[in-house]
Amino acid sequence: MIITGVIRLAIIEVENLTKIFNSFVAVDNLSFVIEEGEVFGLLGPNGAGKTTTIRMLAGLISPSKGSAKVKGFTVGSDSLKVRETVGILTENPSLYERLTAFENMDFFAEAYGLSDQQKKQDRIKQLLTFFGLWERRNARVATFSKGMKQKLAIARALVHEPPVLFLDEPTSGLDPESSKEVRDLIAILSANEKVTVLLCTHNLEDAQKLCFRVMIINRGKKVIVGRTNDLRNRISGTLKVEITLKNLTPEIVTAVKNIPHVKQVHQDESTSKFSVNVDDIESDTPELVKKVVEVGGLILGVNVVRPSLEEAYIKLIKEEKE
Amino acid sequence: MRLNKAELIFRKDWREIRRNWQVILPIVLLPLIISLVLPIILIVVSSVIPSSGTPLSDFKPLIQGLPEAIQEQFAGMTDIQVMIYIMATYFFAPFFLIIPLMASSVISSDSFAGEKERKTIEALLATPISDSELFFGKMLVSFIPSMVVTFISFVVYTLVFDLFSFGIFNGLLLLPNLNWILMIFGLAPTLALASIGLTVIVSAKVKGFKEAQQISVILLLPVLALVFGQVAGAIILGPLVILILISIFVILDFVVFRIGVKLFKREEILSKLA
Repeated sequence: MIITGVIRLAIIEVENLTKIFNSFVAVDNLSFVIEEGEVFGLLGPNGAGKTTTIRMLAGLISPSKGSAKVKGFTVGSDSLKVRETVGILTENPSLYERLTAFENMDFFAEAYGLSDQQKKQDRIKQLLTFFGLWERRNARVATFSKGMKQKLAIARALVHEPPVLFLDEPTSGLDPESSKEVRDLIAILSANEKVTVLLCTHNLEDAQKLCFRVMIINRGKKVIVGRTNDLRNRISGTLKVEITLKNLTPEIVTAVKNIPHVKQVHQDESTSKFSVNVDDIESDTPELVKKVVEVGGLILGVNVVRPSLEEAYIKLIKEEKE
Repeated sequence: MRLNKAELIFRKDWREIRRNWQVILPIVLLPLIISLVLPIILIVVSSVIPSSGTPLSDFKPLIQGLPEAIQEQFAGMTDIQVMIYIMATYFFAPFFLIIPLMASSVISSDSFAGEKERKTIEALLATPISDSELFFGKMLVSFIPSMVVTFISFVVYTLVFDLFSFGIFNGLLLLPNLNWILMIFGLAPTLALASIGLTVIVSAKVKGFKEAQQISVILLLPVLALVFGQVAGAIILGPLVILILISIFVILDFVVFRIGVKLFKREEILSKLA
Protein backbone atom coordinates (compact mmCIF):
# COMPACT_ATOMS: atom_id res chain seq x y z
CA MET A 1 0.00 0.00 0.00
CA ILE A 2 1.35 3.44 -0.96
CA ILE A 3 1.95 5.90 1.85
CA THR A 4 2.01 9.52 0.72
CA GLY A 5 3.95 12.47 2.06
CA VAL A 6 1.16 13.55 4.42
CA ILE A 7 1.04 10.02 5.89
CA ARG A 8 -2.36 9.16 4.53
CA LEU A 9 -3.15 5.70 3.34
CA ALA A 10 -3.91 5.12 -0.31
CA ILE A 11 -7.36 3.52 -0.24
CA ILE A 12 -7.87 3.24 -3.98
CA GLU A 13 -4.91 2.45 -6.21
CA VAL A 14 -5.51 2.28 -9.92
CA GLU A 15 -2.83 1.38 -12.42
CA ASN A 16 -3.29 1.35 -16.19
CA LEU A 17 -6.93 0.38 -15.78
CA THR A 18 -8.43 -0.49 -19.14
CA LYS A 19 -11.81 -1.83 -20.20
CA ILE A 20 -12.49 -2.99 -23.72
CA PHE A 21 -16.01 -4.04 -24.82
CA ASN A 22 -15.53 -6.06 -28.01
CA SER A 23 -13.27 -3.62 -29.84
CA PHE A 24 -14.52 -0.45 -28.11
CA VAL A 25 -12.13 0.98 -25.55
CA ALA A 26 -14.38 2.38 -22.80
CA VAL A 27 -11.59 3.07 -20.29
CA ASP A 28 -8.07 3.57 -21.51
CA ASN A 29 -5.04 3.21 -19.21
CA LEU A 30 -6.28 5.19 -16.22
CA SER A 31 -3.92 5.51 -13.28
CA PHE A 32 -4.61 7.36 -10.05
CA VAL A 33 -4.49 7.04 -6.29
CA ILE A 34 -7.16 8.19 -3.83
CA GLU A 35 -6.20 8.69 -0.23
CA GLU A 36 -8.16 7.87 2.90
CA GLY A 37 -10.85 10.45 3.60
CA GLU A 38 -10.34 12.20 0.29
CA VAL A 39 -13.22 13.31 -1.92
CA PHE A 40 -11.97 12.67 -5.44
CA GLY A 41 -13.95 13.94 -8.42
CA LEU A 42 -14.23 12.04 -11.66
CA LEU A 43 -15.46 14.42 -14.34
CA GLY A 44 -16.18 14.02 -17.99
CA PRO A 45 -18.88 14.29 -20.64
CA ASN A 46 -21.42 11.54 -21.32
CA GLY A 47 -19.72 8.37 -22.56
CA ALA A 48 -16.35 9.42 -21.15
CA GLY A 49 -16.03 6.16 -19.21
CA LYS A 50 -16.95 7.37 -15.70
CA THR A 51 -19.62 4.73 -15.02
CA THR A 52 -17.47 1.93 -16.45
CA THR A 53 -14.61 3.04 -14.17
CA ILE A 54 -16.91 3.00 -11.13
CA ARG A 55 -18.32 -0.40 -12.11
CA MET A 56 -14.81 -1.84 -12.32
CA LEU A 57 -13.76 -0.33 -8.99
CA ALA A 58 -16.98 -1.59 -7.35
CA GLY A 59 -16.22 -5.16 -8.42
CA LEU A 60 -19.15 -5.35 -10.83
CA ILE A 61 -17.10 -5.86 -13.96
CA SER A 62 -13.52 -6.99 -14.46
CA PRO A 63 -10.81 -4.87 -16.02
CA SER A 64 -9.52 -5.96 -19.44
CA LYS A 65 -6.03 -4.74 -18.55
CA GLY A 66 -4.32 -3.08 -15.64
CA SER A 67 -5.13 -3.41 -11.97
CA ALA A 68 -7.03 -1.73 -9.18
CA LYS A 69 -7.10 -2.16 -5.44
CA VAL A 70 -9.79 -0.94 -3.07
CA LYS A 71 -8.70 -0.92 0.58
CA GLY A 72 -6.13 -3.56 -0.31
CA PHE A 73 -8.57 -5.88 -2.09
CA THR A 74 -7.85 -6.56 -5.72
CA VAL A 75 -10.64 -5.81 -8.15
CA GLY A 76 -11.36 -8.99 -10.09
CA SER A 77 -9.89 -11.62 -7.79
CA ASP A 78 -11.33 -10.25 -4.47
CA SER A 79 -14.53 -8.81 -5.92
CA LEU A 80 -16.74 -10.07 -3.08
CA LYS A 81 -14.52 -8.32 -0.52
CA VAL A 82 -14.42 -5.19 -2.71
CA ARG A 83 -18.22 -5.13 -2.83
CA GLU A 84 -18.39 -5.52 0.97
CA THR A 85 -16.08 -2.53 1.39
CA VAL A 86 -17.83 -0.20 -0.99
CA GLY A 87 -21.10 1.70 -0.78
CA ILE A 88 -22.39 2.63 -4.20
CA LEU A 89 -24.92 5.08 -5.55
CA THR A 90 -25.59 3.92 -9.07
CA GLU A 91 -26.56 6.08 -12.04
CA ASN A 92 -30.21 5.08 -11.52
CA PRO A 93 -31.53 4.98 -7.95
CA SER A 94 -31.98 1.17 -8.38
CA LEU A 95 -34.75 0.94 -5.78
CA TYR A 96 -37.51 -1.63 -5.52
CA GLU A 97 -40.60 0.45 -6.18
CA ARG A 98 -43.10 -2.13 -4.87
CA LEU A 99 -41.28 -2.24 -1.56
CA THR A 100 -41.45 0.45 1.10
CA ALA A 101 -38.50 2.69 1.95
CA PHE A 102 -37.90 0.64 5.10
CA GLU A 103 -38.10 -2.69 3.26
CA ASN A 104 -35.56 -1.46 0.70
CA MET A 105 -33.17 -0.39 3.44
CA ASP A 106 -33.75 -3.61 5.36
CA PHE A 107 -32.94 -5.76 2.35
CA PHE A 108 -29.72 -3.95 1.50
CA ALA A 109 -28.65 -3.80 5.16
CA GLU A 110 -28.87 -7.60 5.36
CA ALA A 111 -27.31 -8.06 1.94
CA TYR A 112 -24.30 -6.06 3.19
CA GLY A 113 -24.05 -8.22 6.30
CA LEU A 114 -25.90 -6.29 9.01
CA SER A 115 -27.40 -9.24 10.83
CA ASP A 116 -27.93 -7.77 14.32
CA GLN A 117 -31.60 -6.73 14.28
CA GLN A 118 -31.26 -3.87 16.76
CA LYS A 119 -28.17 -2.39 15.10
CA LYS A 120 -29.81 -2.71 11.71
CA GLN A 121 -33.00 -0.98 12.83
CA ASP A 122 -31.05 1.81 14.53
CA ARG A 123 -28.90 2.42 11.46
CA ILE A 124 -31.91 2.49 9.14
CA LYS A 125 -33.74 4.88 11.47
CA GLN A 126 -30.68 7.13 11.72
CA LEU A 127 -30.28 7.37 7.94
CA LEU A 128 -33.97 7.75 7.09
CA THR A 129 -34.30 10.43 9.76
CA PHE A 130 -31.25 12.28 8.44
CA PHE A 131 -32.71 12.32 4.92
CA GLY A 132 -36.17 13.29 6.17
CA LEU A 133 -37.74 10.02 5.08
CA TRP A 134 -38.52 8.39 8.42
CA GLU A 135 -42.14 9.53 8.40
CA ARG A 136 -42.56 7.95 4.95
CA ARG A 137 -40.73 4.72 5.82
CA ASN A 138 -43.82 2.58 5.30
CA ALA A 139 -44.79 4.15 1.97
CA ARG A 140 -43.96 2.32 -1.23
CA VAL A 141 -41.05 3.82 -3.13
CA ALA A 142 -43.26 4.08 -6.24
CA THR A 143 -45.05 6.98 -4.53
CA PHE A 144 -41.80 8.90 -3.91
CA SER A 145 -40.64 11.96 -5.85
CA LYS A 146 -37.39 11.82 -7.82
CA GLY A 147 -35.60 13.70 -5.05
CA MET A 148 -36.88 11.36 -2.34
CA LYS A 149 -35.75 8.35 -4.36
CA GLN A 150 -32.31 9.88 -4.77
CA LYS A 151 -32.06 10.50 -1.02
CA LEU A 152 -33.15 6.94 -0.28
CA ALA A 153 -30.57 5.59 -2.73
CA ILE A 154 -27.84 7.57 -0.96
CA ALA A 155 -29.09 6.30 2.41
CA ARG A 156 -28.92 2.76 1.03
CA ALA A 157 -25.31 3.28 -0.09
CA LEU A 158 -24.43 4.30 3.48
CA VAL A 159 -26.35 1.60 5.32
CA HIS A 160 -23.35 -0.64 6.11
CA GLU A 161 -21.09 2.29 7.04
CA PRO A 162 -18.69 1.67 4.17
CA PRO A 163 -15.16 3.11 4.32
CA VAL A 164 -15.34 3.78 0.58
CA LEU A 165 -18.21 5.46 -1.26
CA PHE A 166 -18.77 5.61 -4.99
CA LEU A 167 -21.32 8.26 -5.82
CA ASP A 168 -22.57 8.59 -9.38
CA GLU A 169 -24.33 11.97 -9.68
CA PRO A 170 -25.44 12.22 -6.01
CA THR A 171 -27.25 15.56 -6.32
CA SER A 172 -29.04 14.71 -9.55
CA GLY A 173 -32.76 15.44 -9.19
CA LEU A 174 -32.40 17.14 -5.83
CA ASP A 175 -33.63 20.64 -5.02
CA PRO A 176 -30.97 23.21 -3.97
CA GLU A 177 -31.63 22.66 -0.26
CA SER A 178 -31.35 18.88 -0.51
CA SER A 179 -28.26 19.21 -2.73
CA LYS A 180 -26.63 21.26 -0.02
CA GLU A 181 -27.59 18.68 2.62
CA VAL A 182 -26.02 15.92 0.54
CA ARG A 183 -22.86 17.98 -0.07
CA ASP A 184 -22.64 18.72 3.66
CA LEU A 185 -23.07 15.03 4.42
CA ILE A 186 -20.28 14.05 2.02
CA ALA A 187 -18.02 16.69 3.56
CA ILE A 188 -18.80 15.40 7.09
CA LEU A 189 -18.23 11.76 6.09
CA SER A 190 -14.89 12.67 4.56
CA ALA A 191 -13.68 14.95 7.35
CA ASN A 192 -15.01 13.21 10.46
CA GLU A 193 -15.34 9.58 9.53
CA LYS A 194 -12.48 9.37 7.03
CA VAL A 195 -14.77 7.92 4.38
CA THR A 196 -13.09 7.95 0.99
CA VAL A 197 -15.41 9.24 -1.71
CA LEU A 198 -15.15 8.86 -5.46
CA LEU A 199 -17.57 11.41 -6.83
CA CYS A 200 -18.66 11.01 -10.40
CA THR A 201 -20.51 14.09 -11.52
CA HIS A 202 -21.55 16.53 -14.19
CA ASN A 203 -22.32 19.06 -11.51
CA LEU A 204 -19.15 21.08 -11.36
CA GLU A 205 -20.45 23.05 -8.41
CA ASP A 206 -20.44 19.81 -6.42
CA ALA A 207 -16.92 19.00 -7.58
CA GLN A 208 -15.67 22.48 -6.84
CA LYS A 209 -17.18 22.55 -3.37
CA LEU A 210 -16.31 19.02 -2.34
CA CYS A 211 -13.30 17.68 -4.17
CA PHE A 212 -9.76 18.25 -3.13
CA ARG A 213 -8.61 16.71 -6.38
CA VAL A 214 -10.39 15.96 -9.63
CA MET A 215 -9.63 13.95 -12.71
CA ILE A 216 -11.17 14.88 -16.03
CA ILE A 217 -11.56 12.01 -18.46
CA ASN A 218 -12.74 11.98 -22.05
CA ARG A 219 -13.23 9.01 -24.38
CA GLY A 220 -11.89 6.77 -21.62
CA LYS A 221 -8.59 8.61 -21.35
CA LYS A 222 -7.24 10.85 -18.63
CA VAL A 223 -7.25 14.49 -19.73
CA ILE A 224 -5.91 15.98 -16.54
CA VAL A 225 -5.69 15.22 -12.84
CA GLY A 226 -4.85 17.55 -10.02
CA ARG A 227 -6.02 19.72 -7.15
CA THR A 228 -9.29 21.44 -7.94
CA ASN A 229 -7.96 24.95 -7.24
CA ASP A 230 -4.72 24.45 -9.18
CA LEU A 231 -6.63 23.04 -12.10
CA ARG A 232 -9.05 25.90 -12.51
CA ASN A 233 -6.32 28.52 -12.12
CA ARG A 234 -3.97 26.72 -14.47
CA ILE A 235 -6.52 26.24 -17.18
CA SER A 236 -8.55 29.42 -16.95
CA GLY A 237 -5.55 31.71 -16.58
CA THR A 238 -5.28 34.61 -14.15
CA LEU A 239 -7.78 36.01 -11.72
CA LYS A 240 -10.16 38.81 -12.65
CA VAL A 241 -11.16 42.00 -10.83
CA GLU A 242 -14.71 43.06 -11.57
CA ILE A 243 -15.71 46.71 -10.96
CA THR A 244 -19.30 47.95 -11.03
CA LEU A 245 -19.74 51.67 -11.69
CA LYS A 246 -22.62 54.11 -11.64
CA ASN A 247 -21.73 55.03 -15.24
CA LEU A 248 -19.20 53.32 -17.48
CA THR A 249 -17.64 55.92 -19.81
CA PRO A 250 -15.09 55.47 -22.66
CA GLU A 251 -12.63 57.61 -20.68
CA ILE A 252 -12.65 55.15 -17.82
CA VAL A 253 -12.06 52.21 -20.15
CA THR A 254 -9.17 53.99 -21.89
CA ALA A 255 -7.60 54.93 -18.57
CA VAL A 256 -7.80 51.36 -17.32
CA LYS A 257 -6.34 49.97 -20.54
CA ASN A 258 -3.33 52.25 -20.07
CA ILE A 259 -2.40 50.73 -16.71
CA PRO A 260 0.82 48.69 -17.36
CA HIS A 261 -0.23 45.42 -15.58
CA VAL A 262 -3.67 45.25 -17.11
CA LYS A 263 -3.89 42.49 -19.67
CA GLN A 264 -7.48 42.47 -20.90
CA VAL A 265 -10.57 44.60 -20.25
CA HIS A 266 -14.00 43.08 -20.68
CA GLN A 267 -16.81 45.64 -20.87
CA ASP A 268 -20.46 45.12 -20.01
CA GLU A 269 -22.13 48.44 -20.79
CA SER A 270 -25.64 47.18 -20.08
CA THR A 271 -24.77 46.76 -16.39
CA SER A 272 -22.01 49.44 -16.23
CA LYS A 273 -19.61 46.74 -15.22
CA PHE A 274 -16.16 45.83 -16.47
CA SER A 275 -13.65 43.18 -15.55
CA VAL A 276 -9.88 43.13 -15.83
CA ASN A 277 -7.38 40.25 -15.87
CA VAL A 278 -4.53 40.97 -13.48
CA ASP A 279 -1.40 39.16 -12.32
CA ASP A 280 -1.40 40.07 -8.65
CA ILE A 281 -4.68 40.87 -6.96
CA GLU A 282 -3.13 42.52 -3.90
CA SER A 283 -0.98 45.08 -5.71
CA ASP A 284 -3.01 45.56 -8.89
CA THR A 285 -6.47 46.08 -7.39
CA PRO A 286 -5.73 49.31 -5.41
CA GLU A 287 -4.00 50.79 -8.46
CA LEU A 288 -6.98 49.96 -10.62
CA VAL A 289 -9.46 51.51 -8.19
CA LYS A 290 -7.29 54.63 -7.84
CA LYS A 291 -7.16 55.14 -11.62
CA VAL A 292 -10.95 54.74 -12.01
CA VAL A 293 -11.59 57.30 -9.27
CA GLU A 294 -9.03 59.72 -10.82
CA VAL A 295 -10.96 59.79 -14.12
CA GLY A 296 -14.21 60.49 -12.30
CA GLY A 297 -15.66 56.96 -12.02
CA LEU A 298 -18.21 56.37 -9.24
CA ILE A 299 -17.52 52.86 -7.93
CA LEU A 300 -20.46 50.83 -6.63
CA GLY A 301 -18.57 47.59 -6.03
CA VAL A 302 -15.29 45.72 -6.48
CA ASN A 303 -15.18 41.89 -6.72
CA VAL A 304 -12.41 39.39 -7.24
CA VAL A 305 -13.67 36.74 -9.68
CA ARG A 306 -12.01 33.36 -9.59
CA PRO A 307 -12.26 31.20 -12.70
CA SER A 308 -14.74 28.41 -12.08
CA LEU A 309 -14.04 24.72 -12.50
CA GLU A 310 -16.79 24.76 -15.07
CA GLU A 311 -14.83 27.18 -17.24
CA ALA A 312 -11.75 25.01 -16.89
CA TYR A 313 -13.71 21.88 -17.69
CA ILE A 314 -15.41 23.30 -20.79
CA LYS A 315 -12.10 24.65 -22.07
CA LEU A 316 -10.38 21.30 -21.63
CA ILE A 317 -13.11 19.23 -23.23
CA LYS A 318 -13.26 21.70 -26.14
CA GLU A 319 -9.52 21.38 -26.63
CA GLU A 320 -9.82 17.59 -26.55
CA LYS A 321 -12.48 17.62 -29.24
CA GLU A 322 -10.31 19.86 -31.44
CA MET B 1 -22.84 -20.82 -0.48
CA ARG B 2 -24.55 -18.96 2.38
CA LEU B 3 -28.17 -20.12 2.46
CA ASN B 4 -29.29 -17.09 4.47
CA LYS B 5 -28.29 -14.83 1.56
CA ALA B 6 -30.30 -16.92 -0.90
CA GLU B 7 -33.21 -16.81 1.56
CA LEU B 8 -32.82 -13.00 1.73
CA ILE B 9 -33.21 -12.79 -2.06
CA PHE B 10 -36.26 -15.03 -1.77
CA ARG B 11 -37.89 -12.84 0.90
CA LYS B 12 -37.25 -9.65 -1.04
CA ASP B 13 -38.54 -11.04 -4.33
CA TRP B 14 -41.58 -12.64 -2.75
CA ARG B 15 -42.55 -9.32 -1.13
CA GLU B 16 -42.40 -7.73 -4.57
CA ILE B 17 -44.21 -10.55 -6.38
CA ARG B 18 -47.17 -10.73 -4.02
CA ARG B 19 -47.82 -7.04 -4.74
CA ASN B 20 -47.75 -7.60 -8.49
CA TRP B 21 -51.14 -8.79 -9.78
CA GLN B 22 -49.70 -9.40 -13.26
CA VAL B 23 -47.66 -12.21 -11.73
CA ILE B 24 -50.14 -13.38 -9.10
CA LEU B 25 -53.16 -13.64 -11.43
CA PRO B 26 -51.82 -16.34 -13.79
CA ILE B 27 -50.35 -18.24 -10.85
CA VAL B 28 -53.78 -18.46 -9.22
CA LEU B 29 -56.03 -18.75 -12.29
CA LEU B 30 -54.53 -21.77 -14.04
CA PRO B 31 -54.45 -23.99 -10.93
CA LEU B 32 -58.03 -22.95 -10.20
CA ILE B 33 -59.11 -24.12 -13.66
CA ILE B 34 -57.23 -27.40 -13.46
CA SER B 35 -58.07 -28.34 -9.88
CA LEU B 36 -61.63 -27.07 -9.67
CA VAL B 37 -63.20 -26.19 -13.03
CA LEU B 38 -62.09 -29.28 -15.00
CA PRO B 39 -63.22 -31.82 -12.37
CA ILE B 40 -66.56 -30.03 -12.03
CA ILE B 41 -67.05 -30.15 -15.84
CA LEU B 42 -66.28 -33.87 -15.77
CA ILE B 43 -68.75 -34.41 -12.94
CA VAL B 44 -71.47 -32.47 -14.76
CA VAL B 45 -70.82 -34.31 -18.07
CA SER B 46 -70.80 -37.73 -16.41
CA SER B 47 -74.09 -37.00 -14.66
CA VAL B 48 -75.67 -35.97 -17.99
CA ILE B 49 -74.48 -38.98 -20.03
CA PRO B 50 -76.54 -41.72 -18.29
CA SER B 51 -79.76 -39.69 -18.46
CA SER B 52 -79.28 -38.89 -22.13
CA GLY B 53 -78.60 -42.52 -22.83
CA THR B 54 -75.50 -41.70 -24.87
CA PRO B 55 -73.20 -44.70 -25.05
CA LEU B 56 -69.56 -44.07 -24.24
CA SER B 57 -68.61 -45.14 -27.73
CA ASP B 58 -66.23 -42.19 -28.30
CA PHE B 59 -64.48 -43.03 -25.09
CA LYS B 60 -64.09 -46.75 -25.68
CA PRO B 61 -61.10 -46.63 -28.08
CA LEU B 62 -59.15 -44.63 -25.49
CA ILE B 63 -59.85 -47.27 -22.84
CA GLN B 64 -58.93 -50.07 -25.17
CA GLY B 65 -55.63 -48.33 -25.95
CA LEU B 66 -54.59 -48.52 -22.29
CA PRO B 67 -52.24 -51.28 -21.08
CA GLU B 68 -53.88 -54.49 -19.94
CA ALA B 69 -52.69 -54.03 -16.38
CA ILE B 70 -54.70 -50.84 -16.17
CA GLN B 71 -57.70 -52.28 -17.95
CA GLU B 72 -57.79 -55.04 -15.32
CA GLN B 73 -58.49 -52.38 -12.72
CA PHE B 74 -61.83 -51.69 -14.45
CA ALA B 75 -63.23 -55.13 -13.73
CA GLY B 76 -66.72 -54.86 -12.35
CA MET B 77 -67.00 -51.11 -13.03
CA THR B 78 -69.80 -49.47 -14.98
CA ASP B 79 -68.93 -47.32 -18.03
CA ILE B 80 -69.40 -44.15 -16.05
CA GLN B 81 -67.21 -45.43 -13.23
CA VAL B 82 -64.50 -46.38 -15.76
CA MET B 83 -64.61 -42.94 -17.35
CA ILE B 84 -64.37 -41.11 -14.03
CA TYR B 85 -61.68 -43.47 -12.78
CA ILE B 86 -59.51 -42.98 -15.86
CA MET B 87 -60.02 -39.23 -15.95
CA ALA B 88 -59.40 -38.72 -12.25
CA THR B 89 -56.42 -40.98 -11.85
CA TYR B 90 -54.67 -40.97 -15.26
CA PHE B 91 -55.71 -38.38 -17.82
CA PHE B 92 -55.72 -35.38 -15.49
CA ALA B 93 -52.39 -36.27 -13.90
CA PRO B 94 -50.07 -34.58 -16.43
CA PHE B 95 -52.08 -31.36 -16.09
CA PHE B 96 -50.65 -31.15 -12.61
CA LEU B 97 -47.19 -30.94 -14.12
CA ILE B 98 -48.31 -27.88 -16.08
CA ILE B 99 -49.26 -26.03 -12.86
CA PRO B 100 -45.73 -25.80 -11.36
CA LEU B 101 -44.24 -25.15 -14.79
CA MET B 102 -46.60 -22.30 -15.62
CA ALA B 103 -46.43 -20.74 -12.16
CA SER B 104 -42.67 -20.91 -11.97
CA SER B 105 -42.24 -19.75 -15.56
CA VAL B 106 -44.03 -16.45 -14.80
CA ILE B 107 -41.86 -15.78 -11.74
CA SER B 108 -38.54 -17.05 -13.06
CA SER B 109 -38.90 -15.13 -16.33
CA ASP B 110 -39.18 -12.00 -14.18
CA SER B 111 -36.18 -12.91 -11.98
CA PHE B 112 -33.27 -11.12 -13.65
CA ALA B 113 -35.05 -9.77 -16.74
CA GLY B 114 -37.59 -7.94 -14.54
CA GLU B 115 -34.79 -6.42 -12.44
CA LYS B 116 -33.14 -5.25 -15.66
CA GLU B 117 -36.38 -3.71 -16.94
CA ARG B 118 -37.04 -1.92 -13.66
CA LYS B 119 -33.37 -0.83 -13.47
CA THR B 120 -32.85 -2.36 -10.02
CA ILE B 121 -30.26 -4.92 -11.10
CA GLU B 122 -27.13 -2.79 -10.69
CA ALA B 123 -27.58 -2.17 -6.97
CA LEU B 124 -28.38 -5.86 -6.47
CA LEU B 125 -25.27 -6.98 -8.35
CA ALA B 126 -23.19 -4.49 -6.36
CA THR B 127 -24.02 -6.26 -3.07
CA PRO B 128 -21.59 -8.81 -1.62
CA ILE B 129 -23.92 -11.67 -2.52
CA SER B 130 -22.17 -14.37 -4.54
CA ASP B 131 -23.29 -15.58 -7.96
CA SER B 132 -24.48 -18.95 -6.62
CA GLU B 133 -26.41 -17.28 -3.75
CA LEU B 134 -28.11 -14.90 -6.19
CA PHE B 135 -28.91 -17.68 -8.64
CA PHE B 136 -30.21 -20.02 -5.93
CA GLY B 137 -32.27 -17.23 -4.32
CA LYS B 138 -33.88 -16.44 -7.65
CA MET B 139 -34.64 -20.15 -8.13
CA LEU B 140 -36.18 -20.40 -4.65
CA VAL B 141 -38.60 -17.55 -5.26
CA SER B 142 -39.96 -19.36 -8.31
CA PHE B 143 -39.87 -22.81 -6.75
CA ILE B 144 -41.56 -22.29 -3.38
CA PRO B 145 -44.70 -20.41 -4.55
CA SER B 146 -45.17 -22.71 -7.54
CA MET B 147 -44.92 -25.81 -5.36
CA VAL B 148 -47.28 -24.34 -2.75
CA VAL B 149 -49.79 -23.65 -5.52
CA THR B 150 -49.33 -27.20 -6.86
CA PHE B 151 -49.86 -28.82 -3.44
CA ILE B 152 -52.95 -26.72 -2.72
CA SER B 153 -54.33 -27.55 -6.18
CA PHE B 154 -53.72 -31.23 -5.53
CA VAL B 155 -55.59 -31.07 -2.21
CA VAL B 156 -58.52 -29.23 -3.84
CA TYR B 157 -58.60 -31.67 -6.76
CA THR B 158 -58.49 -34.67 -4.42
CA LEU B 159 -61.30 -33.30 -2.26
CA VAL B 160 -63.52 -32.49 -5.25
CA PHE B 161 -63.08 -35.92 -6.83
CA ASP B 162 -63.37 -37.84 -3.58
CA LEU B 163 -66.56 -36.01 -2.63
CA PHE B 164 -67.97 -36.89 -6.01
CA SER B 165 -66.66 -40.44 -6.32
CA PHE B 166 -67.61 -41.39 -2.76
CA GLY B 167 -71.21 -41.92 -3.87
CA ILE B 168 -70.50 -43.36 -7.31
CA PHE B 169 -67.89 -45.86 -6.14
CA ASN B 170 -69.83 -46.92 -3.05
CA GLY B 171 -67.55 -45.32 -0.47
CA LEU B 172 -64.29 -45.81 -2.39
CA LEU B 173 -61.90 -42.83 -2.32
CA LEU B 174 -60.04 -42.58 -5.64
CA LEU B 175 -57.34 -40.19 -4.54
CA PRO B 176 -54.61 -39.93 -3.44
CA ASN B 177 -52.97 -43.00 -4.86
CA LEU B 178 -49.30 -43.93 -5.25
CA ASN B 179 -49.08 -42.48 -8.78
CA TRP B 180 -50.32 -39.11 -7.69
CA ILE B 181 -48.18 -38.96 -4.57
CA LEU B 182 -45.05 -39.75 -6.59
CA MET B 183 -46.02 -37.25 -9.23
CA ILE B 184 -46.97 -34.34 -6.98
CA PHE B 185 -44.22 -34.76 -4.38
CA GLY B 186 -41.48 -36.19 -6.61
CA LEU B 187 -41.88 -35.46 -10.29
CA ALA B 188 -43.48 -32.01 -10.06
CA PRO B 189 -40.73 -30.49 -7.84
CA THR B 190 -37.82 -31.98 -9.78
CA LEU B 191 -39.35 -31.04 -13.14
CA ALA B 192 -40.12 -27.53 -11.86
CA LEU B 193 -36.55 -27.04 -10.61
CA ALA B 194 -35.05 -27.95 -14.00
CA SER B 195 -37.46 -25.64 -15.78
CA ILE B 196 -36.85 -22.81 -13.28
CA GLY B 197 -33.07 -23.18 -13.61
CA LEU B 198 -33.28 -22.97 -17.40
CA THR B 199 -35.68 -20.01 -17.29
CA VAL B 200 -33.52 -18.10 -14.80
CA ILE B 201 -30.52 -18.64 -17.12
CA VAL B 202 -32.58 -17.28 -20.02
CA SER B 203 -33.83 -14.40 -17.86
CA ALA B 204 -30.24 -13.38 -17.06
CA LYS B 205 -29.32 -13.42 -20.74
CA VAL B 206 -32.19 -11.50 -22.31
CA LYS B 207 -33.17 -7.85 -21.98
CA GLY B 208 -36.77 -8.05 -20.78
CA PHE B 209 -39.42 -10.12 -19.01
CA LYS B 210 -41.53 -10.78 -22.13
CA GLU B 211 -38.55 -12.09 -24.08
CA ALA B 212 -37.69 -14.44 -21.21
CA GLN B 213 -41.25 -15.70 -20.92
CA GLN B 214 -41.60 -16.34 -24.65
CA ILE B 215 -38.48 -18.48 -24.59
CA SER B 216 -39.47 -20.27 -21.38
CA VAL B 217 -42.82 -21.34 -22.90
CA ILE B 218 -40.82 -23.71 -25.12
CA LEU B 219 -40.03 -25.68 -21.94
CA LEU B 220 -43.73 -26.50 -21.62
CA LEU B 221 -43.76 -28.42 -24.90
CA PRO B 222 -42.39 -31.74 -23.56
CA VAL B 223 -44.98 -31.69 -20.76
CA LEU B 224 -47.79 -30.92 -23.22
CA ALA B 225 -46.55 -33.88 -25.28
CA LEU B 226 -46.89 -35.96 -22.13
CA VAL B 227 -50.49 -34.75 -21.64
CA PHE B 228 -51.49 -35.69 -25.18
CA GLY B 229 -49.46 -38.88 -25.06
CA GLN B 230 -51.27 -39.99 -21.94
CA VAL B 231 -54.70 -39.07 -23.36
CA ALA B 232 -53.89 -40.98 -26.55
CA GLY B 233 -52.72 -43.93 -24.50
CA ALA B 234 -49.19 -43.72 -25.91
CA ILE B 235 -47.58 -42.90 -22.56
CA ILE B 236 -48.85 -44.05 -19.21
CA LEU B 237 -47.43 -42.45 -16.10
CA GLY B 238 -47.21 -45.52 -13.89
CA PRO B 239 -45.11 -45.58 -10.69
CA LEU B 240 -42.05 -47.00 -12.45
CA VAL B 241 -42.11 -44.42 -15.24
CA ILE B 242 -42.56 -41.65 -12.68
CA LEU B 243 -39.63 -42.92 -10.59
CA ILE B 244 -37.41 -43.06 -13.67
CA LEU B 245 -38.44 -39.52 -14.62
CA ILE B 246 -37.75 -38.30 -11.06
CA SER B 247 -34.22 -39.79 -11.20
CA ILE B 248 -33.55 -38.16 -14.56
CA PHE B 249 -34.78 -34.78 -13.36
CA VAL B 250 -32.75 -34.91 -10.12
CA ILE B 251 -29.60 -35.27 -12.21
CA LEU B 252 -30.81 -32.62 -14.63
CA ASP B 253 -31.53 -30.19 -11.74
CA PHE B 254 -27.99 -30.54 -10.47
CA VAL B 255 -26.52 -30.06 -13.96
CA VAL B 256 -28.73 -27.05 -14.72
CA PHE B 257 -27.76 -25.38 -11.40
CA ARG B 258 -24.05 -25.86 -12.06
CA ILE B 259 -24.36 -24.59 -15.62
CA GLY B 260 -26.53 -21.67 -14.48
CA VAL B 261 -23.98 -20.49 -11.90
CA LYS B 262 -21.18 -20.91 -14.44
CA LEU B 263 -23.05 -18.92 -17.08
CA PHE B 264 -24.02 -16.20 -14.60
CA LYS B 265 -21.92 -13.18 -15.54
CA ARG B 266 -22.56 -9.87 -13.79
CA GLU B 267 -20.80 -8.09 -16.62
CA GLU B 268 -23.03 -9.60 -19.29
CA ILE B 269 -26.16 -8.76 -17.29
CA LEU B 270 -25.07 -5.13 -16.91
CA SER B 271 -24.28 -4.88 -20.62
CA LYS B 272 -27.86 -5.91 -21.40
CA LEU B 273 -29.45 -3.14 -19.37
CA ALA B 274 -32.41 -1.67 -21.23
